[in-house]
Amino acid sequence: MPGGFEGRIFMRSSTGDEAPFPVAQFATFALPEEVGDFGGGAVTLMGADDIFTTLFEYGPESLGTRLFARQGIPRSLSPDNFLPYVLRRGLGGQSGTQWFFTEAGRPFTLYVVLGSHARRSSLVPRVNGLLSNLAISPSPQPSLPSGARWN
Amino acid sequence: MIALAIVLSIVVLLLSVLVAGLLRSHADILKALHDLGAGVGEPAGSDTHDQSSARASGNRGPVSVPLTMGPPLPGERSSASAPTIAGVTPSGDALAVAPSGSDQLTLLAFLSSGCASCAGFWKAFHRPDELGLPPHTRLVVVTKGPEMEIPGEVSAQAPPGLPVVMSTEAWGDYEVPGSPFFVLVDGNSGRRIGEGVANQFSQVAELVRRAQVDAREFAEGSRSQPHAEGLDGPERELANDRELTAAGILPGDPSLYPSSLADVCPPDGGDPRPKRTPIEMAN
Repeated sequence: MPGGFEGRIFMRSSTGDEAPFPVAQFATFALPEEVGDFGGGAVTLMGADDIFTTLFEYGPESLGTRLFARQGIPRSLSPDNFLPYVLRRGLGGQSGTQWFFTEAGRPFTLYVVLGSHARRSSLVPRVNGLLSNLAISPSPQPSLPSGARWN
Repeated sequence: MIALAIVLSIVVLLLSVLVAGLLRSHADILKALHDLGAGVGEPAGSDTHDQSSARASGNRGPVSVPLTMGPPLPGERSSASAPTIAGVTPSGDALAVAPSGSDQLTLLAFLSSGCASCAGFWKAFHRPDELGLPPHTRLVVVTKGPEMEIPGEVSAQAPPGLPVVMSTEAWGDYEVPGSPFFVLVDGNSGRRIGEGVANQFSQVAELVRRAQVDAREFAEGSRSQPHAEGLDGPERELANDRELTAAGILPGDPSLYPSSLADVCPPDGGDPRPKRTPIEMAN
């Protein structure tokens, strides 16, 4: 984890038939206990020099679709990738970027919010520092039910 | 009489054998110590020469026996640094908390689920409004990892909404001697500004308040003193030169070269600085 970043990886409890998948969130500020998958409850706490990033995994049914055709997590973003209107919640001064991709056989979206669009030139290198340190492993194979045997 | 002489001779013989055995044992011990490099009466300065000459001659010279006490700290860390705490939550999620790099104070409470003196703190954390911590102070509980703590017990004691990181590594990083133990980190400087133990949380809150005031005064007082921000090398020397010049101490000032303790601390408590003659500055 680059200096100044903190983060968490968690899975929400499933609701009905919905299968939960891991969500990873990273921020340069203290993440509150309850944060929405895409930063709800956290982006309003951001200062101008803060960064919020979420890595959200989708289900296997998304594999192979055009949306997730890109292979590999983007490791090097440029300031031009950030736009004020690419935000789940439009907050004045902030800007964001969102990427859909597949890595290690798992479909993800990467969503990054900068505290200040005007300071994106100094903030984006820090985002890239974080992205270069992220590693995604293949999804663990589902375990066999107890008592199952190979014959 | 003859019988007595024979008995005495046998006793002397047995004692001689015993003494010879002890001397032999002592010689074996000395030889073993010498093989380990613990030379007797050898000056330390000659080790390098002896070892190199022994290597050159093919003999096995004295070898140094390193004595280590626990893992060494990484080079970039000091006793005041505040590294990121990475571990898991009691529910098993991954969690990393960075006390540095923010504009707030972070109070790290190193607690155990089983220690009796920690129980009062766990209980106090259920009433966050009564903790008495100054504003902009974040409280984070750090327990040992799941290999040493039972997550269920930690979860049962931790109030909802309070960040709890289970990380044995963090206890090593922050050199925690035992629980309960508290560490206060200033997010602006990224350094530990206080640490210690307490019996009640009100004592901790009071220490946090004092540390916050001290940190603010220090920051304000050192705004014009760059050395306080941790400068090193030429920048630090330059800052020192500026301070000395501002105090009227110029290069070559006799006060910079005390010849005795009396020059620094005069017995009569007077001005320790010798009389100076004005130095003409070259144009």
